[in-house]
Amino acid sequence: MQKFSFNRRLVIIIVCLIVSFALMTVSVAIRNKKSTPPLIQQFGNDIVGLTDRVVALPANGLRGSVSSISELLNTYQENQQLKKQVSELAQTKVRDQTLAKENKQLKTQIKLNDSLTDYTAISAAVITRTPSSWQNQVVINKGSSAGVVKNMPVMSGSGLVGRVSEVNKTNAKVELITDNNDSANRFAVTVSTKSGKTVNGVLSGYKAATGQITMDNLTTKAKISKGDKVITSGLGGVTPKGLYVGTVAKSAGSDYGLSTKLYITPATDLSDLNIVTVAVTKQ
Amino acid sequence: MYRLSKMRFGFPIGLFLMLFLDGSISQVFSVQMFSASSVMISHLVVLWLVCGVLFEENMAMPLAKWAAVAGVVFDLYYTGIFGVYVFVFPLVVYLTRQIVKYISPNFLSGLLIYFIDITIVEAMSFIASRAVHMTSMSGSSFLVNTLGPTLALNLAMFVVLYFPIRAVYNWLK
Repeated sequence: MQKFSFNRRLVIIIVCLIVSFALMTVSVAIRNKKSTPPLIQQFGNDIVGLTDRVVALPANGLRGSVSSISELLNTYQENQQLKKQVSELAQTKVRDQTLAKENKQLKTQIKLNDSLTDYTAISAAVITRTPSSWQNQVVINKGSSAGVVKNMPVMSGSGLVGRVSEVNKTNAKVELITDNNDSANRFAVTVSTKSGKTVNGVLSGYKAATGQITMDNLTTKAKISKGDKVITSGLGGVTPKGLYVGTVAKSAGSDYGLSTKLYITPATDLSDLNIVTVAVTKQ
Repeated sequence: MYRLSKMRFGFPIGLFLMLFLDGSISQVFSVQMFSASSVMISHLVVLWLVCGVLFEENMAMPLAKWAAVAGVVFDLYYTGIFGVYVFVFPLVVYLTRQIVKYISPNFLSGLLIYFIDITIVEAMSFIASRAVHMTSMSGSSFLVNTLGPTLALNLAMFVVLYFPIRAVYNWLK
């Protein structure tokens, strides 16, 4: 009798293991291939997302009030520094507007409708964050009904933070570039060097110890120096050209010594996200 | 008498509240909790479930079923990978029930049981994520950068929340 119950328990454990791995494999496959999750999952996520806001909104509101008090303390210093920058910024902005206008006129002259740099922005608030060590994901409050599509790039502040990994009707999951899985941070980017050359490549990973994005397998002879700006190149479709990724922190030989590896300091603080912008390309 | 008590509605409400609080805490304290060298993950759901076992006495609550429900929501809403926490949460409830048979639950033994439970939750989800290539983290860096800080945070949570949760359970009975 004792033997029988032990065997039954073993069978249950093995069945559970097999079912668990089957479910995981299927959901990873769906996540990699399909643009939206199955309808039931979408529906469930929408309902859970709506209930979550009951908890998340007070929590985020509380956080906002606490951080505004702490920010009050160094406002004076910041104000002094910012005043200096504002006068410069006005000049740049006016020039920027003139150039954008000229660019538009030139585009209409040669009948070029949309180029790689054109995109519209959807701004969204972060509801919650996945409590997990390896899945750096946040849930945002805009979904397919607002026009969000899977794989769209997401920005916060001045720079790129991640891409949309799952879209439901009223919310979406964003995989941050700090996530180190196989598909999270493969953005096509370009580095413009001081000598005016451009170097194209793909982001390859994230180094958690230093908080830097890496870009491997560069075989260029152009000299890339510290402080060069890295932007998205717009190659490959979904990502528009010209989203700011960060600046080059270090250029070193790769692990095998055959190519160059770049370490990039991200433009924004990736651990502190409240409001994000989803970039929608016109296609 | 589970069916006739306030527990019937109170327990699920508390469970989902804890589930959403996990995400909100991670979001609000993301700067402190997700630094490069140490990642702390809050597991208030597990705390609620384990406390359910500890304070159950002879009330026979359907804890494993609710644990599976919490697991489904966790998988679909938070991680997007179905099939990890659905099995891990009921397993934790089962294990805790087995241990409670031999050790009478009080504050200190509860702390030790919770220590084991958090280790199991983290280790199982790490193994699962490694198996489906959701992470490339090495075992040693998992132990040092994730498991250690997570245990510290959650045991502190246990110490702080043990008596409030016991009061809530006593009120619900």
